[in-house]
Amino acid sequence: MDNNQSESILKVTDLCVQYGTFKAVKEVSFDVRKGEIFGLLGPNGAGKTSTLSAIEGLIKYQSGTVIVDGHNAKEKPLYARAAMGVQLQSTSFQPELKVSEILQLFAGIYGVKLTNEKLTAILKDISLEDAAGKRFGQLSGGQQQRVSLVISTIHNPRLVLLDEPTTGLDPQSRRQLWERIEAIREHGHAVVLTTHSMEEAESVCDRIGIIDHGKVITIDTPQALIEKHKNDPEVIAVSRKGRVTLEDVFIALTGKAVRA
Amino acid sequence: MEETIIPKTSTVLAALLKADFTTVWRNRRAVVMVFLVPLVIIVSFKDLVKTAGGPFVLSDSLAYGLIAIGLMGYTNSIARDRDKGIFQRLRVAPASNWTIMMSRLFVQLTMIIVVTTVIFIVGFDYDKISLTATGYLLTYFTAIIGGAVYLALGQVIVGLIKNPETVNSTSRLIYFTFVIVGMFGGTGRLGPQMQQLTQWSPYGTVQTIMAGGMVPGSWTMDTTNALLVTLGYTVVFAVIGIKNFKWNTK
Repeated sequence: MDNNQSESILKVTDLCVQYGTFKAVKEVSFDVRKGEIFGLLGPNGAGKTSTLSAIEGLIKYQSGTVIVDGHNAKEKPLYARAAMGVQLQSTSFQPELKVSEILQLFAGIYGVKLTNEKLTAILKDISLEDAAGKRFGQLSGGQQQRVSLVISTIHNPRLVLLDEPTTGLDPQSRRQLWERIEAIREHGHAVVLTTHSMEEAESVCDRIGIIDHGKVITIDTPQALIEKHKNDPEVIAVSRKGRVTLEDVFIALTGKAVRA
Repeated sequence: MEETIIPKTSTVLAALLKADFTTVWRNRRAVVMVFLVPLVIIVSFKDLVKTAGGPFVLSDSLAYGLIAIGLMGYTNSIARDRDKGIFQRLRVAPASNWTIMMSRLFVQLTMIIVVTTVIFIVGFDYDKISLTATGYLLTYFTAIIGGAVYLALGQVIVGLIKNPETVNSTSRLIYFTFVIVGMFGGTGRLGPQMQQLTQWSPYGTVQTIMAGGMVPGSWTMDTTNALLVTLGYTVVFAVIGIKNFKWNTK
């Protein structure tokens, strides 16, 4: 790994999130480096979204530190938020606004000057040059995700957080989105991605953190995880295709029980 | 390490205001509903101008307009956007919470001024009600103060209730209650106790200060007390509403 890649853009240390008496995130620590796609995987209710929400500043965390591009998210929340781009799990914009107006709104919020030429270029880049006058609700799921992704990177952030960005997309749209996420990495940004798709994690992520019951179980590259666990009896027991996949390792580590 | 640029508050506010005004403009049907009841009142109360006076008719009509803005316009837009996650999307950007709310409140403030102006125009044109320049200016001032009570009451509703449909039905129910209380309680048809209660309810105090503002010479100690009570209602409602408000419904 070169020097650029070793530069930490996001550093989460001993993060704890609690709702009432329920501890959703327990001393979670990980870091994400420049030019890296980091996958945060876990079953439903494992603490992925709570972890992301704490990083994004949407919820207060009880203890631990979150450093985004050198800014402590608790002490300098606006700086931390300005340094990151976010795509939430269920993104929604004012249904009355047109796509171009939504882009203008977020460009304004991030302090980016968006000329008509630049706006056209952005829409062309995501193959939505004809959709400028359409309302967000009139777009297909894939088109909405593309708009949402482009908004999360409109200010050229150092860190991009994507919460289940490909949920509900057809294979073509999903592949296209993967390419866009990889392009974000190529530009030197760090990406944190949560997903339930092991295929996606294996294909796109450079490193993976598996989280369950609010704790990080393991962090490694997808291939290293498979190599490390391929001979575990639990992994072999759940393997279905004659070869061990990331999903087999994930099931073996987090259990077969269906989560609510 | 590259320097992180924080946009100016004025830039963020300008972007939010542009989007919020566009949203209201595209929701013209909802805006019409805000105008409907006060306009119906000012037209149908024409005969009352001679007996009860122009300021009474104008203040009555304006009071319903302000209730509609606070309870229906503001409340429903906040409940819907919160439920759809629109606020959360804004909050992960470098827009502070107060900037997001300030923009929403500024839009409602503009609505109050527009509704007041339209009622003045219709009142003058149809009912031949005219005020002095000071009366018009003071009425704008009291309309903003009166509007603040209903916006704060709307804040209580969205603070205590999360479901947007429940918010909608609750705000309609309260709106309807205010209409009934105003129409019957204020005129004494439900008895003197009810009349007194109505007089010191948010509806009654707002109507009193607006009527007082329209004819500055008629401003009495009771009007000053009504102003103080109005401000008191606003503070209490705002504190309850803001304290209980959650940015998401989950």
